[in-house]
Amino acid sequence: MTDTVSNATTGMRTSQRMLAHAWAFKEMKFALGVFLFLIVLAAVGPVIIPASAIDMNVGLRFLPPIFFEGGQWPHIFGTDQLGRDLFLRSLIGLRNALMLSVVAVICMFVLGCGLGIYAGYKGGWIDTVIMRITDVQMSIPVIILAITVLGMSRPTPFSIIMVLVIASWPVYARVARSVALAEKEKEHIRAARIIGAGDLRIMLRHMAPQILPPIAFVAVLDIARMMIFEAIFGFIGIGIQPPTPTFGTIISSGTQYLLNSWWITVAPGVLLAVTLTSLNLVGGVLERSRNHVLQGGR
Amino acid sequence: MTTRDVLQVSGLSIRNANLPKAAPVLQDVSFSAAPKSVVGIIGESGAGKTVLAKALVNWVASPLEISSGQLFFEGVDLLKQPAERFNAMRGREISYIGADPTSALDPTVPVGSQIVKKLVTVKPTLSKREAKEFVIETFQAVRIPSASKRFNDYPFQFSGGMMQRALIVDALVTNPKLLIADNITQPLDVTVAAQILRLLRQLQQDFETAIVFVTASLGTAVDIADKVLVMKEGRVVESGGTSGLLANPQDDYTKQLIHQVPDIWGAEPFHSEQIDEHPILSIRDVSKTYQLADPDVVFGKQAVQAVRGVSFDVRRGENFGVIGESGCGKSTLSRLLSALESPDTGEVLFNGTSLSSMSSKQLLNWRQKMQLILQDPYNSIPSYMTIGDIIAEPLRIHNLEKGNALWTRVKAVMTEVGLNLDLIHDLPAGLSAGQRQRVSIARALVLEPEVLILDETLSALDQVEQSKLLALFADINRRRSITCIYISHDLAMVRRICDRIGVMYLGKVVELADNESLFSKAGHPYTRALLSAVPVLEEKPFEESVYLLDGEPPDPINIPAGCSFRTRCPFAIDQCAQEEPNLEVYEEKGSAAACYVGYAKLP
Amino acid sequence: MRSGAPQGASEHLLLGPFYRLIGMAFAIEFFVRRILQGAVIVFLVSFVIFALLRVVSGDPVRIILGPMASSAAIEETAEQLGLRDPIPIQYGRFVAGVVQGDFGHSFIRGVQGGSTGGSQDSEGLDTDNRAPVFDLIMTALPYTAILAGGGVFLALLIALPIGIFAGRNSGRWPDRFALYVSSLFISLPNIWIGVVLIFLFSTKAGWLPAIGYEGLAYAILPAIVIAIEISPVLIRAISVSVSDNLRAPYFALGLVRGLSSNYMFRAHVLRNSAVPLMNLFGAQVIGMLLGGLFVVEYIFSYPGIGLLTINAIFQRDFPIVQAISILAAVALVLINMFVDFFSSLIDRRLKF
Repeated sequence: MTDTVSNATTGMRTSQRMLAHAWAFKEMKFALGVFLFLIVLAAVGPVIIPASAIDMNVGLRFLPPIFFEGGQWPHIFGTDQLGRDLFLRSLIGLRNALMLSVVAVICMFVLGCGLGIYAGYKGGWIDTVIMRITDVQMSIPVIILAITVLGMSRPTPFSIIMVLVIASWPVYARVARSVALAEKEKEHIRAARIIGAGDLRIMLRHMAPQILPPIAFVAVLDIARMMIFEAIFGFIGIGIQPPTPTFGTIISSGTQYLLNSWWITVAPGVLLAVTLTSLNLVGGVLERSRNHVLQGGR
Repeated sequence: MTTRDVLQVSGLSIRNANLPKAAPVLQDVSFSAAPKSVVGIIGESGAGKTVLAKALVNWVASPLEISSGQLFFEGVDLLKQPAERFNAMRGREISYIGADPTSALDPTVPVGSQIVKKLVTVKPTLSKREAKEFVIETFQAVRIPSASKRFNDYPFQFSGGMMQRALIVDALVTNPKLLIADNITQPLDVTVAAQILRLLRQLQQDFETAIVFVTASLGTAVDIADKVLVMKEGRVVESGGTSGLLANPQDDYTKQLIHQVPDIWGAEPFHSEQIDEHPILSIRDVSKTYQLADPDVVFGKQAVQAVRGVSFDVRRGENFGVIGESGCGKSTLSRLLSALESPDTGEVLFNGTSLSSMSSKQLLNWRQKMQLILQDPYNSIPSYMTIGDIIAEPLRIHNLEKGNALWTRVKAVMTEVGLNLDLIHDLPAGLSAGQRQRVSIARALVLEPEVLILDETLSALDQVEQSKLLALFADINRRRSITCIYISHDLAMVRRICDRIGVMYLGKVVELADNESLFSKAGHPYTRALLSAVPVLEEKPFEESVYLLDGEPPDPINIPAGCSFRTRCPFAIDQCAQEEPNLEVYEEKGSAAACYVGYAKLP
Repeated sequence: MRSGAPQGASEHLLLGPFYRLIGMAFAIEFFVRRILQGAVIVFLVSFVIFALLRVVSGDPVRIILGPMASSAAIEETAEQLGLRDPIPIQYGRFVAGVVQGDFGHSFIRGVQGGSTGGSQDSEGLDTDNRAPVFDLIMTALPYTAILAGGGVFLALLIALPIGIFAGRNSGRWPDRFALYVSSLFISLPNIWIGVVLIFLFSTKAGWLPAIGYEGLAYAILPAIVIAIEISPVLIRAISVSVSDNLRAPYFALGLVRGLSSNYMFRAHVLRNSAVPLMNLFGAQVIGMLLGGLFVVEYIFSYPGIGLLTINAIFQRDFPIVQAISILAAVALVLINMFVDFFSSLIDRRLKF
């Protein structure tokens, strides 16, 4: 068949083609816009909104969101049982969850892909050992691991990230390994061996640049997944500890006042869900574009 | 136009709806096919042949659309009929076979039941049992061995050639009036392709089907077609009876196509100028076996004997060819020669030193002297490095040059292989296949190797580009007195460039001869079968009717005892079943063949 | 020839492929290998959890005896429970028990049910009074099975139509709809949507019960939360594999060969799409389901394995956590084994 669809994109590398394909979706632009807006809001909101996320104010307890009767400016989401501004608390929770998740995803990506490529390229007993470790790790439910490790001492961002990374790196290792297995049979790897390239050079310079971008695209979806884990940890009481607000602790504390002050639970969750939806839309479109390009589409 | 014609196409144009301003994909194509005739459609890739072939079965997928024209089938313009009417013809009156037999059927369902399903769909009067019996009978008729067992096999258990036979059965079970054969021999080895053509010719007589035969190979088209259409850029540039068109082409493009068909016997055999009798590379009784899981024995293994006791010498400065069909072991041999894998037994000697005795440091140094260039222009160079960096990488790995000296050397080699120096900072993405192969060649040459192995390096290129690169290699060979080993399935190419040639069959070298002797005398029946099957326009010294083989090579897991070729050899004698023959010299120049029948007794 | 299959059995509509395979050494080899591998995995998982509990967690005796217990009493109880022995010795004892079918007794829970933590003095701690772990798990397991089954059923009920419709209309509105639905559902944290559903359907409307378990109706809301969590993954997988198979050469060629589009879809596209879907189940959905069950049971105070586990970990009730880890690992290993086996029944090219 002739390449009649679009000659403009034929000169691009795989990852560029994926991005170009993704950018053509209007959902991509919209979702990315919403997501960036929320990030900016999380960064500047606490500075410009004249309220407090930490200080208690008995006079302002249980204020409903401003769209409802009794709501007051500047308490957009209303206030909680201690009179703290829910919108600000949510923004701070968002900021912390996002930073924590991004760091965790980067760590699991590096660790998982590194070991996965190593296992796939080397094969033999190294491959067997690494893959059996992933089998074992994937057979341990995250929650059991998390409560065991985090439930006993005061959890810190570091220990939370560590738990997330330990629980999730095997997925990356498996994907990277299976791609590496296919990749190492390709001619460019054979060509590299023939010119004398060593194992390290082949893995870093010849395999990683082919293998990692498509996996990185899907890792966007994992940032959202990690934010949900962070919220679950907070809800169970093994997340970042008070007074720092997290989605999990806010939602959990609101359950006691659900009947009369439902917004304490509902409003922060809406912000979290909107953020995650925008992020998941971005990730979903990227994933599609990746599949599209990997299947030979332009 | 005659009303008797099965098919008559007139003024058919197809365009791309997304590119309204571009030239149409097909423009004003007209031709007709009489009952029982074969119309050949020939052209290079991109000429619109496949689009035309698919249009004949109403397979014009968006964004392509038919913009004008008529398509008469038995006098009815199918394009004016509702689509259901046209579609109802498919698989019944009009059948289609495509270029990729291995992906034509659902991979998860046995081949036989898929064909039976089609048969009972188009002929509802048939019972399932009758249909099955009929399909097995037809399998036997198209010479699919052990047909009733094969009936239950899955598509991936069929070779390309066997699958194409099964699909021919599938297409012809309804006795259609018209068969569209779209590049059906393209992915197959020459001997298998020749078998398929022979089969199609026989079947056509039994079934009285008109065939539209689309191919990129003029030799193949001439072989089978009564009438030929030459297509270029979506238009028919010339058409006419096959022999007339060949003898007296009118259009320049037709003349060019005819000219491009390589001459084998008409060409002068190649000779390298400076050959040192001392061998630079000696292969001594090399074998390689792979272990596979045996599906029928618990924890059982099967041994796939990929290379079985291969020995030959390559002399310094000569061009040596290794030729054979899929599965003959030539790719394994290439891996052994380039020390990507080591042989189970035997050794590869480079200037007298065994590769297996080298330390990893010595091996790394040796890599500078021996380079391999691979087949796939799109996969053998990294897409994310600039062309300059790709060519410079070997120098950096071996720490040969730094700074300006490195770039001087890179530029010198780029010039030598004919790459524009402006490309040095570009990524390979925009390069043509030919340019990409030049990058590969430059990357190998920059190390100034003594031996260069070309593993199907030119197979993916078109004729014009291939000729240019062959000229380049002849030039390099002369200037650098480099030793080249060509591993290929392309007889015409080794004829043009190799001094000596080894023919491989089932992991063994069955004939080792100099260029002239191999093509004119050929001491092994397998070599003669290969030569009889090449699609060329000239007279062949070896008749297809005498030498062409049946079936396909046996499984390398179960290699027949004695001579491995005897099961397919038309001339096998009792002795062949007892012991494996060794290479015996059959003529004065030292050419040798492994055959008990003997050169003198071959017809 | 393949041996073992009865004459003509391979033509049997449903069991045909099974017979053709069951006669093969492949199947035996597959199960032997996978069961051995699985045993190693389960063994390692149990050891990791066992060691982790003892190294990382706090001292369970403090919780058993309560904050007022004297350090002498604590030491005595710890000795009695064997918690002061080296970990390998403790583990050996544990494995010896498990091999005989004895998963030990809860540190905290009494036979009558309910926690006894902190309320007993050191003399009062005797083994007979504490509930056997095996019984606790057997009591909780049916509830979890109901919830898991209901959740997966609902998830498929949502995902199959949306996914297939999207796959058949790749690039058009149903495809986008599937993208939106899956992006939204995957963005609803189970802790939040669980509480919101309780608020809307239970607290406000009073349509459905939510907390605890007194009948099948109590499983509906938690099952919906589970379904919302896993359906997005299924929607994506189904739509991708359906549209891939529609684009596979065999589909277009099937039409050209004279077969109807409906037949090709029913007989071939759905069949081929089942393979990646099954693999997804083994690789991802079961893991998600397991994680989801823990959280959802916790939110809804649903008396299944998840709630049992979460309480047990917080109470450092080691025997329960150890047993449930083994149970979870066995479940994952078995499910993955069968998923791979049935995948290779459908697609004979697959080798595991």
